[in-house]
Amino acid sequence: MSQALNGSCHCGAVRVSFESPDLDAVAVFACTCSFCRRHGARYARDPNGSLHVTAAPGALNPYRFAAQAVDFWLCEQCGVLVFASQESPDGVRATLNVAGADIEALTDRPAQSMDFGEQPAEDRAARRQTMWTPLTLVEASPSA
Amino acid sequence: MAEVCWHSGGCHCGAVRFEAALPAVVEAQSCNCSMCQKVGFIHIIVPESRFRLTTGADAITTYTFNTGVAQHTFCKVCGVKPFYRPRSNPDGWSVNARCLDTTDGLDLRIEPFDGQNWEAHAADLAHLSREDA
Repeated sequence: MSQALNGSCHCGAVRVSFESPDLDAVAVFACTCSFCRRHGARYARDPNGSLHVTAAPGALNPYRFAAQAVDFWLCEQCGVLVFASQESPDGVRATLNVAGADIEALTDRPAQSMDFGEQPAEDRAARRQTMWTPLTLVEASPSA
Repeated sequence: MAEVCWHSGGCHCGAVRFEAALPAVVEAQSCNCSMCQKVGFIHIIVPESRFRLTTGADAITTYTFNTGVAQHTFCKVCGVKPFYRPRSNPDGWSVNARCLDTTDGLDLRIEPFDGQNWEAHAADLAHLSREDA
């Protein structure tokens, strides 16, 4: 049975629910790139799970850099990096910053350092499509 | 007073740039409070005179909560928090060690800080922003 872990950014404008059929097997990664390092990001994803994001209208601010392939979603109000997403042929897939979303069950796990800098762009896109979590995003005020 | 050198740093997109004067051995804190955990902030607390914003005043936005004393400043564009005005040291600044251009030549000594029990421990940091520290 799938288990859900819930979290949010600091101000609560962006809330997440991460589901996985096998939470024990979900690994946590620390990307060492210049952006993720500055945010202290630690990511988790499960291609067989789901990530449901509920954001207040206008609360999510996207940031892109380098290859412009990924949207990094920031809370407009508190600045927290909550997740990153990529459009894929089979829909939008995402990786969750478990530190930013404060998913304690996953932040407690040791994070493996990852350097994707040498990977060709097409391999990166394919990896995200294969490994990242299907995303659903809805707009609703925090009290909803 | 320890000898200090100016070190530069900034956010990711380059809009916000700062400089901080740091001794060769830097006492830094990794805090476990709700805010610092989410943004991965590693604190280097300096007196007012040892910090300068070099560019990006107009790119900064400020988030406050609870007592409103701490001014959590971050870049509007890339969300990165290169420094902020901490509640423990409102007379100084806390620079994010993750946002220094390089830590080469710095002996960065990161200690855990129990920000979850902030009231019991904040006084331990007060000396770090004293101008004669």
